[in-house]
Amino acid sequence: MHKILIVEDEDILREAYYATLSSQGYQCDVAENGKVALEKCQTTTYDLILLDLMMPVMSGVKFLEKFMPNVPDGTEVVVLSNLSSGVELEQAMDLGVYRCLLKSDVSPKELVAAVRNELGDEG
Amino acid sequence: MTARIDTTRNRLTKLLTRHNETLAELKRYKELVENVQDYAIFLMDKNGYVQTWNKGAKRTNGYSASEIIGKHFSIFYPKEDIKKQKPQQELIDAQKFGRIEDEGWRIHKDGSKFWSNVIITALFDDSGTLTGFAKVTRNLTERKIQEDKLKKANVLLKRQQEELKRLNGAKDEFISLASHQLRTPATAIKQLLGIILEGFAGDVPPHLLPPIQKSYESNERLIRIVNSLLKVAQIDAGKVVLDKTDVKINDLVRDVILEQQKTILARKQTVTFVPKNVSLTVQADPQYFRMALENLVDNASKYTFDGGTIEVTTKSQKDDIVVAISDNGVGIASENLASLFEKFQRIPNDLSQSVVGSGLGLYWVKKVIELHDGRIEVKSEVGKGTTFTIYLPKRK
Repeated sequence: MHKILIVEDEDILREAYYATLSSQGYQCDVAENGKVALEKCQTTTYDLILLDLMMPVMSGVKFLEKFMPNVPDGTEVVVLSNLSSGVELEQAMDLGVYRCLLKSDVSPKELVAAVRNELGDEG
Repeated sequence: MTARIDTTRNRLTKLLTRHNETLAELKRYKELVENVQDYAIFLMDKNGYVQTWNKGAKRTNGYSASEIIGKHFSIFYPKEDIKKQKPQQELIDAQKFGRIEDEGWRIHKDGSKFWSNVIITALFDDSGTLTGFAKVTRNLTERKIQEDKLKKANVLLKRQQEELKRLNGAKDEFISLASHQLRTPATAIKQLLGIILEGFAGDVPPHLLPPIQKSYESNERLIRIVNSLLKVAQIDAGKVVLDKTDVKINDLVRDVILEQQKTILARKQTVTFVPKNVSLTVQADPQYFRMALENLVDNASKYTFDGGTIEVTTKSQKDDIVVAISDNGVGIASENLASLFEKFQRIPNDLSQSVVGSGLGLYWVKKVIELHDGRIEVKSEVGKGTTFTIYLPKRK
């Protein structure tokens, strides 16, 4: 089963995403900021990283700056943020992220659909 | 002999007549100068002592002729000017340049100050020797007071403008910050209720579904309002930068209609698209222009009763590409049309109670169209329907 890393500083959201995706059989891991995410990525190769942008300690953009130059083959990054526009979003795109989802637009069902689509799962 | 005497007499008579005429003319000039009321006009000797005095001088400076003739003209200057030897310098400059003009405070006989315009002209005889000065003074205190008032008012206005700009910036920042902060808990509610409603948490007792569904919908409404606030805050703060490209307008309209068809059909409404020209291309930001169109089509549907019709037309007209969105809905009263595109305006009508809106949509649409160098117009009749028309400049 695919491995997903959920990087989100809001506890409730992190737990909700975890519950939703785990219920669909995905093997999920969580990180509350970019720094923890980097540490996890050193020991585990994920198929998908769901990345928030505005986080304390280490932001999503800072994480991408460190992670993307050596991104392992087969690891996809999807930004899941409440920023609908702005510098951070543009920076993330410049660093090689192709898909950005607006958190407030995505229901659990839509999140699952987006993840399946990204991972090429039939569902 | 007699003839010679006659000739001489004639010549003398003529000379005398001319002399008398000259004297009369001089007298008229003297009277003219003496009777001028609005200007102080007087002569000074070459050292600046007053020699003549007219009515205007008495009116302007307060002194009568007997009081002032023989006095030095520095009596009219404030102490600080006398200390700086300004009167003497003005005479030196007038002699050097022929005349000087100056504006400044002068002192009235009663000690009060008045603002005056002063011209001092140097007078020379035929051999070029300085004989004295003519001085013309006008009291401009009223003008000076008005000018000073205007200057003060301008300074105040500028300060107020700056304060208004600062407050407006602070307001934009507050709306932006507050909206971001509100969006996070609203997103959490969406996820948690979504987990229950969409079956991720297993079966839900049926009697709990309606209140959860209603909570979810209320939260969706909150998210929409917060998103609208953010969109407006962004456009107001000038943070929206369009990424313009060639957009095939008919394709875009078709996409928007297809996307909304489900909602429109659910209301049993009919939507038609009438492109009057086959190919119409405009320079637009596809994302923003599409959102503006979506907003107008959505409005048309929302403010039309079930079973109504919506029509979108596109055409080329002179220098513009024209997109019109018409409906046969509730319409807008003429007295409400003027404020339709203002922020937080929700126009009362037969459907406004049941339609969810933030009063920000049309304000945002207008701003987006204007960013495209276009304009939007509205025509409406209560009970008959509404037409919004967008004019976008053709690609140059």
